[in-house]
Amino acid sequence: MKLNKLDITWLILLVITMLNALVAETADPHLVITTIICFSIAYKGRRIIDYFMELNQANQTIRRLMHGYFYVFPALIFLTDVFSEELAVLTTF
Amino acid sequence: MNQASSNTFHINGCGSVTTEPETIKKIPGNKAVWVAIFAELSEFAVFFIAYFIAKAHNPIEFEQGPLQLNTLAGTLNTFALITSSYFVAKALAAIRLNEPDKSIRYLSFAVFCGFCYLAIKYWEYHWNVDHGIRANTNSFFSMYYYMTFNHLIHVTWASCSLMWAISQIKVGNYTQERHLGLTAIACYWHMVDLAWVIIFPLLYVLR
Repeated sequence: MKLNKLDITWLILLVITMLNALVAETADPHLVITTIICFSIAYKGRRIIDYFMELNQANQTIRRLMHGYFYVFPALIFLTDVFSEELAVLTTF
Repeated sequence: MNQASSNTFHINGCGSVTTEPETIKKIPGNKAVWVAIFAELSEFAVFFIAYFIAKAHNPIEFEQGPLQLNTLAGTLNTFALITSSYFVAKALAAIRLNEPDKSIRYLSFAVFCGFCYLAIKYWEYHWNVDHGIRANTNSFFSMYYYMTFNHLIHVTWASCSLMWAISQIKVGNYTQERHLGLTAIACYWHMVDLAWVIIFPLLYVLR
């Protein structure tokens, strides 16, 4: 059976989800784990945007905005983990 | 053989998406649905920022919270949403190949996955109550209920829009030549999936 891009994308997303679940059940909190999870979010998002949503060659503005969302939020997850104390101070009124 | 089924017309399910003439340099679906998609993503962005701030102020609650949640339910919900997105993309590919029956079948599978998501969420909320987890338990669980219930509402009405798409294919309003509405609905459904791609690790994985 020949797999096409949709099939491959679907399988990749399932595997990453299972790995995420494994991390949730077994790994202790660590910056390395946070980094890996952030990359997995960015990759899953990009895969869905490019192949399920078909933005790979679509309108550039929409494509960049959607890609940007999945660069910004994984980065924010990482940064808020690293600078959580500073964020708490900044948001204390 | 018409253009859509010839080798020059490539689609996701039968070639390369990069040569799909319907989407190259164009806005998939229509502008209105993209306004809605960016509005919804902005709404979820506010939730995520609220989560970051709440986590910074309550690190212990956010470290212990994910351990108390039902990871299996979260994982199964992720499977349901990813699989439904896959079927929606296949349905769009089928309508382009002038295979409306196949498209309806794929959309029906997608709706089934949507209902699976809702059923799993119902079971999860009951499981939470049995384990003493409520919206007012602490700030982590407040965020959890706020985000997941909001997302659940999105899945519900997006499932309704998929059923609408099925009805439109059945009556012949979405065809090989004219299916922008289906493309728009598909994009919206994928957006709902994308929001969960961030919500799942935030609530169930990261501590």
